Amino acid sequence: MSLNRSFFVPIDSPLHRLNPLTKLTFVFAMIISAFLSVPDMAPALAVLVLLTGFIGKVQRQYRTVLLKLILPAILFMFVMQSVFLPGGETILIQVGRFDVARENVRAAFLTVSRVFVMVSSFAILLLTTHPSKLMADLTRRGLPPQLAYVIISTLQILPQMQAKAQTILSAQRSRGLDTESTFLKRVRAIVPLVGPLVFGSLVEVEERAIAIEARGFTSPRAKTFLYEVPDTRADRLIRWTLVIFTLLSLAARIWLS
Amino acid sequence: MAIVNLHNVTYKYPLTETPALQNVNLRVKEGEFVAIIGRNGAGKSTLCYTLAGFVPHFFKGELTGSVEVAGMDASKSHLHEWVLNVGLVFQNPFNQISGAKYTVFEEIAFGLENIGVPRDEMKVRVEEAMRLTGISDLADRSPYSLSGGQQQRVALTSILVMQPKVLVLDEPTSQLDPIGAREVFGVIRTMAEQGMTVVLAEHKVEWIARFADRVVALHEGKIILDGTPREVLTSDLLLDKGFGISRYTSAARKARELGLWRQEQLPVTLEEAAEGFALTPNASPKRRCESK
Ligand SMILES: Nc1ncnc2c1ncn2[C@@H]1O[C@H](COP(=O)(O)OP(=O)(O)O)[C@@H](O)[C@H]1O
Ligand SMILES: [Mg+2]
Repeated sequence: MSLNRSFFVPIDSPLHRLNPLTKLTFVFAMIISAFLSVPDMAPALAVLVLLTGFIGKVQRQYRTVLLKLILPAILFMFVMQSVFLPGGETILIQVGRFDVARENVRAAFLTVSRVFVMVSSFAILLLTTHPSKLMADLTRRGLPPQLAYVIISTLQILPQMQAKAQTILSAQRSRGLDTESTFLKRVRAIVPLVGPLVFGSLVEVEERAIAIEARGFTSPRAKTFLYEVPDTRADRLIRWTLVIFTLLSLAARIWLS
Repeated sequence: MAIVNLHNVTYKYPLTETPALQNVNLRVKEGEFVAIIGRNGAGKSTLCYTLAGFVPHFFKGELTGSVEVAGMDASKSHLHEWVLNVGLVFQNPFNQISGAKYTVFEEIAFGLENIGVPRDEMKVRVEEAMRLTGISDLADRSPYSLSGGQQQRVALTSILVMQPKVLVLDEPTSQLDPIGAREVFGVIRTMAEQGMTVVLAEHKVEWIARFADRVVALHEGKIILDGTPREVLTSDLLLDKGFGISRYTSAARKARELGLWRQEQLPVTLEEAAEGFALTPNASPKRRCESK
């Protein structure tokens, strides 16, 4: 698929049809509420985000992201926080020399829920939003095109840089460069890579600057966009609902503590 | 009417002593197809950048003389006006991909988005340009998943879609395999035949000889020859200065020493060589032994 450099799943769903800004608002509403609202809300929000994934019909791809990326990270965090955090009174079990206290398990569960909400809501945004449409919509709304360009081209060019580093590495290794022994030797081995990678990149940056300049990137005329990105009344309604929801959750935090 | 008019142009890159271009005078008529030849470092790229406005608007440095292209004057116009009139394609296909787009179609539309072409017109123009360069079937592919030749045709299409009056190409096939080069040359030929003004820096002299209207030879920043392909490409001066020369010219030159080439003009292409040798009387192998 041509979008293999993005997470985007090219299907149709109610979430796919939403305006990108609406989904971005959802992401921030969830994150702000999960981190700043009353602590008990984070697990509930986690469930909400999970359900949203179903509306977007991307549960299969989401599961991949979940298993490969999110779960390992949060499991690690959970264990670290519940086992190794000192203090806590109600000891549940003992793991070797460490006491696992109920308070720490609770805190760990909370942290993990928050991280889950953050990463998952982002994942759902990326899975259901065409990256070009996201950038087109934000640029139309006033995001500087240079910033949009930097964000999206960085995402695209990183894998290229990686591939290039690998090529240079192989080339140097075939000339007898040692990249597989001790740490210090390996660090020393990296040094000859820096030159070609950085110098190559500088020349490339100049050429790419010329190339995009040749395509009128700095033209003072108002830009137009290939994709029409609809913004419906439903979108606006959802966005306002999310904003009010976020404000209420912040208010709850202030009143309840 | 000259669409390109360089008069006494001398240019030094910033922080350099020797000029990359020296007293260059070049006039190109509308619809003309001019090839530029020269060894590495002769100033071909610099000349291309000058025609496309990047000298002096992108590479600062010191420019004297007058540069007029498509009614614009280098000392007055902005780069963003130049790019509307002059298209530039260069060597490395990969570096010409914007990096901001996910499909070839989007990539080609990028320039039109930047200059504010309305959406409906944009789509029509992109499709038309892709048909012209024969890449319609690549529309939904990622620009990164293409071969060098395909990428270069995408780069070329991305420029052509902006409908420049002058097309400047700086060694567009030098990093491509023979198949990719042939594809790109095919597009350039089509453009020239359709009457676009084309300036092409290129090494492949046999191809130039067949398709260019005129050849300009650059050496150490100066134009040393300017004329029809056959005049320029068979000149002894090219030999002295170490230019790349057609193997057919070299063969005929050798044959002339042996008395086996009797035409006044040396050939550049295979056809010209074959024709010339066919006209040489008594050029049979037997006769050649006797003459030795
Ligand atoms: N960006 C630059 N800064 C300084 N000098 C340059 C730059 N680019 C090219 N030159 C010099 O200008 C001269 C002409 O280079 P160039 O136009 O690239 O030649 P060609 O394309 O024919 O190989 C060379 O001597 C080269 O070293
Ligand atoms: Mg060059």
